[in-house]
Amino acid sequence: MKEDENILEKAVKSLKNQHVPPGPSDELAEATVKKLKNISEQPDTIEFNRQIQLANRITLLNSFIKFAAAAVFLIIAGFAAGRLTTTKPPDIEQIQAVLEPAIRNRLFGEMKQYMQLGLANSYVRLKDDLSEQYRQDLNHLAANIVAANGNLTNQLLENLIESVNAAQMQQQQLFTTALEQIELNRRRDNAQLSNAFVTFATQTENELNQTKQDMVELFTYTQSDGFVPKELNNQKKIN
Amino acid sequence: MTVVAQKEFYLQVVDWKTIIKEHGPAVWQTAYRLLGNDADAADCFQDTFVGALELSRRQRVRNFPALLVRLATTRAIDQLRRRFRRERIGSLENSRPEEPENNPNPAQYAQQQELATMLKTALVHLQPQEAQVFCLRYLNDMSYRQIANELGIKKSATGVILHRARLKLRQFFEVSSKEHKSEVTL
Repeated sequence: MKEDENILEKAVKSLKNQHVPPGPSDELAEATVKKLKNISEQPDTIEFNRQIQLANRITLLNSFIKFAAAAVFLIIAGFAAGRLTTTKPPDIEQIQAVLEPAIRNRLFGEMKQYMQLGLANSYVRLKDDLSEQYRQDLNHLAANIVAANGNLTNQLLENLIESVNAAQMQQQQLFTTALEQIELNRRRDNAQLSNAFVTFATQTENELNQTKQDMVELFTYTQSDGFVPKELNNQKKIN
Repeated sequence: MTVVAQKEFYLQVVDWKTIIKEHGPAVWQTAYRLLGNDADAADCFQDTFVGALELSRRQRVRNFPALLVRLATTRAIDQLRRRFRRERIGSLENSRPEEPENNPNPAQYAQQQELATMLKTALVHLQPQEAQVFCLRYLNDMSYRQIANELGIKKSATGVILHRARLKLRQFFEVSSKEHKSEVTL
């Protein structure tokens, strides 16, 4: 089969690539144009075509009429057959009496089933809604508590910081006061000590001068004049 | 509209001289390729344009090249079929075109001509629509859609017809090759 396919392809290729002389010739083209012109100029050609079209229309109309007649016949036959084969109308009350309890029971059962199903669905839905609401409330309360705790903690921390700052300030003030007092005491003591030293120096000097003078007088009384040292004499002269 | 006015209308709308000048070579090539001689190709050429004229009177032609190629293919296949019936020899030997001058490979040319003749003979044995679709697809390289538009059928129907044509042609070639082998054996 594959070989035949190849042969077919080769044959198509051969026929397609067959040498075709260039054409059509000018004479053939001219002759064709003339022929077409002659055909176009024949008055009966168009008339004939019109007659053909008219005949086609008539044929179409005839077939349509036949089809319509067949359709009407079928409709009438069907209607007649339907009328002939129709049974007697049933007793409505009897049917109603038979069917009503059964329909009522069935309707009741279906309504009951439907209501149960609806209640079950409502219960499940309500349970879900309440659970969701409860969860949301808990989340909200927890969020509020956390927020309140945070605020209280912040306030306490602020108070603590303020107390610490106040204590630090007070301690610093006390420390400064103490330092000032110490400095004041130091200066006062220093001044007192200076005065004491001055007083002491003065008194010492006086005492020393008095002692020198006493010693001079003592030497004066006890010894001769040549025995007195030069320094005591100078001192005595100065005094 | 009177007959004369209608005639003038047709003459004004369709300029056949221009159409023949533009699309004549394609029609000629299609006809000559299948028929293989000048005389038959010229008859087919004229019949094609006469058919196109008649068709253009009945309906508006939107694609003249495709219409002309289709008509040429149809006329050429009809002519091939008539010739085959007339001769009753099962082959179309006189449909071979003239051998070109200075042919470099005569043996290959002869083989190709034999295959082409076999294919033409096989086309005669196909249904007219099958042969037409096959030629339009494989000899004129028209697409499925173009063929479907020209023949007024669906694209899928074109594929089906083409498949059947190929199947029949394969069977024809199978039978022909078996006969050829048996002749060689004898």
